[in-house]
Amino acid sequence: MFRKIQQRLHAAAESTRRHWETVLHIIKEHREYRIQILQLANADILKTYRGSALGWMWAIIKPSVTIFVYWFAFTIGLRAAKPVNGFPFFLWLVAGIVPWFYMSEMLTQGSKTLNRYNYLVTKIKFPVSTISTFVSLSKLYVHLALVAVVVAIFVLFGYPVDVYFLQLPVYVGLMFVFFTIWSLLAGPLSAVSKDFANTVSSLVTAIFWMSGIMWDANKIDNPILHRVLLFNPVTFFATGYRNVFIYKRWFFEDQFALFAFILVLVGMFALSIYTYDKLRREIADVL
Amino acid sequence: MGSDEIAIEFKNVSKKYKLYRSDKHRFLGIFSAKVPFKEVYANRDLNFTIKRGESVAVMGKNGAGKSTMLKMITGVVFPSEGEVIVNGRVSALLELTAGFDPEFTGRENVALRGQIWGLEKAEIADLEQKVVDFADIGEYIDQPMRTYSSGMKARVGFAISAHINPEILVVDEALSVGDKAFREKCDRKVREIMEKEHVTVIFVTHSSGAAESICNRGLVLKKGKLVFDGGVSEAIDFYEGPRDRSKPFDDVHITDV
Repeated sequence: MFRKIQQRLHAAAESTRRHWETVLHIIKEHREYRIQILQLANADILKTYRGSALGWMWAIIKPSVTIFVYWFAFTIGLRAAKPVNGFPFFLWLVAGIVPWFYMSEMLTQGSKTLNRYNYLVTKIKFPVSTISTFVSLSKLYVHLALVAVVVAIFVLFGYPVDVYFLQLPVYVGLMFVFFTIWSLLAGPLSAVSKDFANTVSSLVTAIFWMSGIMWDANKIDNPILHRVLLFNPVTFFATGYRNVFIYKRWFFEDQFALFAFILVLVGMFALSIYTYDKLRREIADVL
Repeated sequence: MGSDEIAIEFKNVSKKYKLYRSDKHRFLGIFSAKVPFKEVYANRDLNFTIKRGESVAVMGKNGAGKSTMLKMITGVVFPSEGEVIVNGRVSALLELTAGFDPEFTGRENVALRGQIWGLEKAEIADLEQKVVDFADIGEYIDQPMRTYSSGMKARVGFAISAHINPEILVVDEALSVGDKAFREKCDRKVREIMEKEHVTVIFVTHSSGAAESICNRGLVLKKGKLVFDGGVSEAIDFYEGPRDRSKPFDDVHITDV
């Protein structure tokens, strides 16, 4: 009995050590390939918008159409569009949906990174962990361009930049870190299982409507449900961007939301290291 | 030939592939050790050392584990057990048509590969020029690679791999590089690289003539195991001996696509 517990503890210590080594290994790969990561992020943008006449304009057109559709449905159709905190519904919509464009890209494309770049896994010696990073970085560039457009829209509507905008880099940074780790987890899983990739893409619409993007998560009356919803990182970021643009709140004011997000982030990080450690040596065999 | 510096070392290297009943089982296998799977050894307990400047012929039937061994040398496949040590820049002339981004042009793919290898801007420009000259595919070099024929891809692929000043060159003799004229051009290039001092060559072959003229050492693989390691003529005798009597068809291999 005692021996068994001792063995268990020993095994646990051993796996902790191995996973810690995996973390260090991933960091080392990123440091060694930092220039390549930046270059491949540029190449990824080029690859995404290559081959269409309008090119990078699609990065603006697609979100604009989506925003128009929701604005139309809520303002004209449902007549549910009320001003929020003194801001027109349109601006409230834009502030919450802009991070979603990055998040939905990362949910779908971010989980297909290794399939998209399978030649970097199976044909060329290349650190697999950095593939998620440069894809995420390429999506981030597009996102930053969109954020600049959003800030310009707010200024045009007569709402100048204020002190709350200082926390915008915090949300952008956290979102980048979160979804890069997501991609590190989902990329290998999708490479191994098509079902996983399909599950993710079929859930994107569900995630959109179940997260606080088209509604305010803080207006949910049921206290338990409210707290549960705050564990959803998509809600955290949509609300966060609105904290900056609309609600004028600091990110540390809602401590429960912050705590819930960090908990999910840590959990996902642990899971991604666990799967990456398991699959790193096998991915090239199955892709 | 050969110095004392070690170029490649295999220490008790085994490679096993996990075969699951389906992809679903493979997925579940990540999270549970109870999911059943079979293990197939591609390589079993390989032990050998190759010194810098040696040229080694690798022989074996299809499925003997040659490709897996070479992939471990090039670093895209990891050993399941043991350790593979490789010192020096490896260039592999194996799957020439692979490793490209189909959305990019030939020229961009050369630059991309140069970036991945961490070359400087000037080095990339130099590589680009050499590849364009050698591949000689005209206007197509500035077209997306998805529009290429397999012959064109192979030309670009060969040109890239041959012009990065490899320290370790891995060549598959049954290389498909298109027409006869280009094939001869490639042969000349490979020999030119091989003749350079201190370039280690791994040459996968079925034909004794080519092996004997290029290599001085031979490895023979059988069912994933190293069954012979020695002089190239002895290796050929060892490999071809039983083959002639039992299976005359082993000689046939496809060289052109």
